[in-house]
Amino acid sequence: MSSSSVVIPGQRICKVEEEHIAGIGTYVRNGFINSSLLGIVTFTPNKEDKQEVTVAHEREHSLVPTLGSLVTARVTNLNQRFCKCSILNVDGTNLIEPYSGIVRKEDVRATDKDKVEMYSSFRPGDIILARVLTYGDLQSFLLTTGENELGVVMATSEAGGSLVPISWNEMQCSKTGNKEYRKVARVQPRNVVINDG
Amino acid sequence: MASLDLLSDQGFRIDGRRPKELRKIQTKLGVFAQADGSAYIEQGNTKVLAAVYGPHEVRGGKSKVLHDKALLNCQYSMAVFSSGERKRRPRGDRKSMEMTQHLQQTFEAAILTHLYPKSQIDIFVEVLQSDGGNYCASVNAATLAVIDAGLPMKDYITACSASIVNDTPIVDINNFEESAGNLEILIAVLPKSSQIVFMEMNGKLHEDHLEKVIDMAMMGCSDVYDILDQSVRDHVSHLSSALCLNK
Repeated sequence: MSSSSVVIPGQRICKVEEEHIAGIGTYVRNGFINSSLLGIVTFTPNKEDKQEVTVAHEREHSLVPTLGSLVTARVTNLNQRFCKCSILNVDGTNLIEPYSGIVRKEDVRATDKDKVEMYSSFRPGDIILARVLTYGDLQSFLLTTGENELGVVMATSEAGGSLVPISWNEMQCSKTGNKEYRKVARVQPRNVVINDG
Repeated sequence: MASLDLLSDQGFRIDGRRPKELRKIQTKLGVFAQADGSAYIEQGNTKVLAAVYGPHEVRGGKSKVLHDKALLNCQYSMAVFSSGERKRRPRGDRKSMEMTQHLQQTFEAAILTHLYPKSQIDIFVEVLQSDGGNYCASVNAATLAVIDAGLPMKDYITACSASIVNDTPIVDINNFEESAGNLEILIAVLPKSSQIVFMEMNGKLHEDHLEKVIDMAMMGCSDVYDILDQSVRDHVSHLSSALCLNK
C-alpha cells in the first residue's frame, strides 16, 4: 500500500471518463472525480467494464437507510396498530447508532392485510428482517415485512428458549415445545450475514 | 497614535511578525476517543478544541428533521478562563450564538449533507484560550475534526483574518491588533477552488483598500491550508501504516 493512495478531501483523483465512475467517498466537480474523505482510494472494476473509484476512511461510517434497503431490526415495543423497532444493520453493515423504524399493521404481510394481528406477528425483542418502505413523515423510517423472505428471524419464547420456525406463521420453543405465532421470514441464504466473532 | 504602534518603522508588528506572516500553527487530530472526530489547534496563543459527532438520528424534536439532508448542529463555546476577564457563562450569550450561526453556515457549504437525510451531525467547538481570530481557529479546528470523523466534504475549509495598518495589509491578527486597530475582515474559503464561503467585516475601511485586505486574507487562508494539509498527511502517515498492519 503506497502512501500515494491516501487522498484528502477535495483532492482530484482522476477525470470522469468512460472507464471511471465515482463511487462512495467521492464527488464529481468540473468533470473530475474528487475525494470527499480522508482515506485510501481504490479502483474496483464493476460489471460494465468500468472502474469504480471509491475512498474508504479508516472508520467505516454509519450508513443512513435508503429506500428499498434491507435492514435488520430489533422490535422494541408493540401495539395494535404498529410496532416500533430499532434498526441495527443496513444492507449488511452494522450501524454504530441505531435508527428507529416502524412497521405498521398493514405492512406486516402482503396478503390478507386486514386480518393481521400485531401481537401474533411480532413480540418485543424479536430480530426481524425488513425493507425500508419510505422515510415516513415521523421521525422514524417506515419498514415493511410484506415479503416471504422478510419477518422474524430470531426470537425467544415466553419460557426463554429460542424459537425455531415451523411454518410461515408459527415458531416452536426449543425448551418447552410450545408454539407461538410470528410473521416468520423464510430466510434466504443470501440475506443472512454470519458474523463470526 | 495607536496605529503607528501596530506596525513599527522597521515593518514589524507588535508580536514581532511581519505583515504577511501567520502565527505559529500547531495541530493535533483525534484527541478524543469518544467523539467520532476531534482536533485541537493552536494559532499563536489562540487554542481551540473541536469535536464532531454523527451522523446519528436527530435528537430534540422531530420538527428539526430535514428530509433531504442532514441537520448540522454547531455549538461554539468559550471556556470561562479563555480571555483576560473571566466570563460569566461559556455559551448562550449573543456573541456565541452569532458565532454558532456563522460556523453552521460555513460548514453547510462544505459537508455533503445530502448523503445523510434525516440525520444529525454535531460540531462542538470550545475556545480554551482566546487571543484573536477565534472564528478562524474554530473553523480550522472543526475542519480537521470533520476530516478525522471521516465525514464527506467537498474540500477543506480554512479561515483567516486580515486588517490594515497605515495602508499596509496585515494577516492573521491577534487580540491586540483586533482591539487596537479599527478593522477586521474574516474570510473562510474552499482552498482548492478559492471560493469564499464566509466573509465578515468589522469596522470601517476605505473601498480602495478592500481588495488588498481581501487578497491578504485569501493568501492567509491558502497558507493555513498548506499547514493543515501537511498536518493531516502527517497524521495519516502513521494511520496508513497501522492499516497495513491490520491487513
